[in-house]
Amino acid sequence: MFDAFIEGLILVLQWKAFSLMLVGMALGFCVGLLPGIGGAATLALMIPFIFKMSPAEAFAFLLGMHSVAATTGDITSVLFGVPGEAISAATVVDGYPMAKKGEAGRALGAALMSSLLGALIGAVALALAVPIVRPLVLTFGSPELFMLSLVGISCITSLSGTTTRGQIKGFAMGLFGLLISTIGQERQSGSLRFDLGMMYLWDGLDFVPVLVGIFAIPEIIDLAVRGTSIAGDRPPENLSSGVMEGVKDTFRHFWLVFRCSIIGVFVGIMPGAGGGVAQWMAYAHAVQSATDSKERGGFGKGDIRGVLGPGAANNSKEGGELIPTVAFGVPGSGAMAILLSGFLIMGIMPGPEMLTKHLSLTFSMVWTLAIANVITVILSLTILDQLAKLTYIRGGLIIPFILLLVFVGSYTANGQIADLIVTLIFGVLSYFMVLFGWPRPPFVLGFVLGKVIETYLFISMTRYGFSWLTHPIVVALMILMVVVIAYPYIQQRRQRLREPAHA
Amino acid sequence: MRKGSLVFCTFLIAIAAYAIFAATGWSFKTKLFPLAVSIPLITLLVIQLLLMIGGKEQTGESATMDIDFSIEVPSEVARRRVFGIFGWIVGFIALVYLLGFPLTVPLFIFLYLKFQSNIGWLSTIAITVVTWGCFYLLFQSLVHIQFEAGVIQTWLGM
Repeated sequence: MFDAFIEGLILVLQWKAFSLMLVGMALGFCVGLLPGIGGAATLALMIPFIFKMSPAEAFAFLLGMHSVAATTGDITSVLFGVPGEAISAATVVDGYPMAKKGEAGRALGAALMSSLLGALIGAVALALAVPIVRPLVLTFGSPELFMLSLVGISCITSLSGTTTRGQIKGFAMGLFGLLISTIGQERQSGSLRFDLGMMYLWDGLDFVPVLVGIFAIPEIIDLAVRGTSIAGDRPPENLSSGVMEGVKDTFRHFWLVFRCSIIGVFVGIMPGAGGGVAQWMAYAHAVQSATDSKERGGFGKGDIRGVLGPGAANNSKEGGELIPTVAFGVPGSGAMAILLSGFLIMGIMPGPEMLTKHLSLTFSMVWTLAIANVITVILSLTILDQLAKLTYIRGGLIIPFILLLVFVGSYTANGQIADLIVTLIFGVLSYFMVLFGWPRPPFVLGFVLGKVIETYLFISMTRYGFSWLTHPIVVALMILMVVVIAYPYIQQRRQRLREPAHA
Repeated sequence: MRKGSLVFCTFLIAIAAYAIFAATGWSFKTKLFPLAVSIPLITLLVIQLLLMIGGKEQTGESATMDIDFSIEVPSEVARRRVFGIFGWIVGFIALVYLLGFPLTVPLFIFLYLKFQSNIGWLSTIAITVVTWGCFYLLFQSLVHIQFEAGVIQTWLGM
């Protein structure tokens, strides 16, 4: 086992594999920064280039690219409020307000360092979990995955307001996101729903134009209204110390980063749940870590923990997703399905052989995840100072470029003008949501998870009727959901009881 | 603001009502999930609307985990700027529709910098040329994104 571990490292450090990993990382860096061009799409574009590579070189190249895209996706989320990747959307919620407070360097330092720790924890999990994870994956069928998705939505909706009315809005927004996800062809029967007679809607709404519209447009409007730079008229922070402060924050909240990384790994292992769920569950967990409702109210206004949680989970889930892909040939996400095709091109069959005959190759993946992220974070930390200065450029100069980034990004989803209109419509909707205090995160999570939830519900009903409701894990997850929903009330009640005692 | 909240809530109720109305005619499989979602949605929205009509604004009702818009700018100026930026966004999409992305990018950057940001001619032209160069190099030469031609080019047969 230890020999294979070292062999895996040697495979990655061979000059050709290492060079290809660096090329992949450079590509991943750019892809992460550009909204719309997702890591999965780029993986697909790069598959034809691996035919003449050895398996170790091919996976160093592909994984190097994929893991870095998740890390750098956070950079535009923090600087401009435009998610570089769909899986970086949660970072916007607290990262961008920090940039507006003149703390872009700190937010970026925290995002990158938590991403690095997350990636390392994900890599360690991959190394440790392969032999023992089989029972867990096999225990989670469609009913359990359906309930897990509901728990994810409940986490975020229950934390959407500090009062009952605030929570009603949160739940309504979660349901509204689920409703919007039903637009298009119903997967089981092929019937069209809410297509308004437009062929564009037959495939449903793509994530990128919707997410970019939801998060970027209100930020652009706010920037235009203020008429200042993103960081406002605040004196520039000492950028170097800001970045270092963010790095220190990661270690100050190490256990939060650790827990969020574990959430990322766990969600990554579950096929179909994906990065969209991992980041929001981690974000919800970060919010729950607030000791009282007042502290919780600071989330969304620039709380460093809101950057650390999603940053860690985004990258740890890469290791998690690789576990079922490598061990059973069951891809954990779209990107992993593309990676699976890479295995087949290389003539490797995922499964038990990856733990015996190809164990050193499996460990080379672990090393690639770790090394690629270490190099990216070190390189990024050296240029973060310069990147953070972008938040001090006056709004009038930077707005046209952000708009360009937003609309080119959303256009790349389907290559249709309609993508731009979808971005505008959801941008307007999002503007009013922010204006009238309707939370956006539950909407986004509902929208991202809608199709998955419906599919799991359909399979559960077809396969088990209503009896799946009595499955032990389903019942346990139901109880967890109730606890999650009740938690803010319990916390409030405890606080009320504590206050008179102190008074 | 209160009137706006009521209108927004009513708008969401209308969408949920439309969803229920449209779904009732579908087969069981097709309507199951939309109805399972839109019925509780409309219930929550109606409760929210009634609370808004009947009660006072509640402290803590506003969304946590989300941004707040800046309030330093006088509302009249803010409103004017909101309409202004929406105008630019709609103009950008209209230009893409008419001229396609490759022509819109330099034109939009030039117009915005010159007439909205009041940058000097030389800087505006220099930034426009650099942006267009980067756009061409990145999206057309490297990533090979196929941008649709605008309707004007199509009409002219270009």
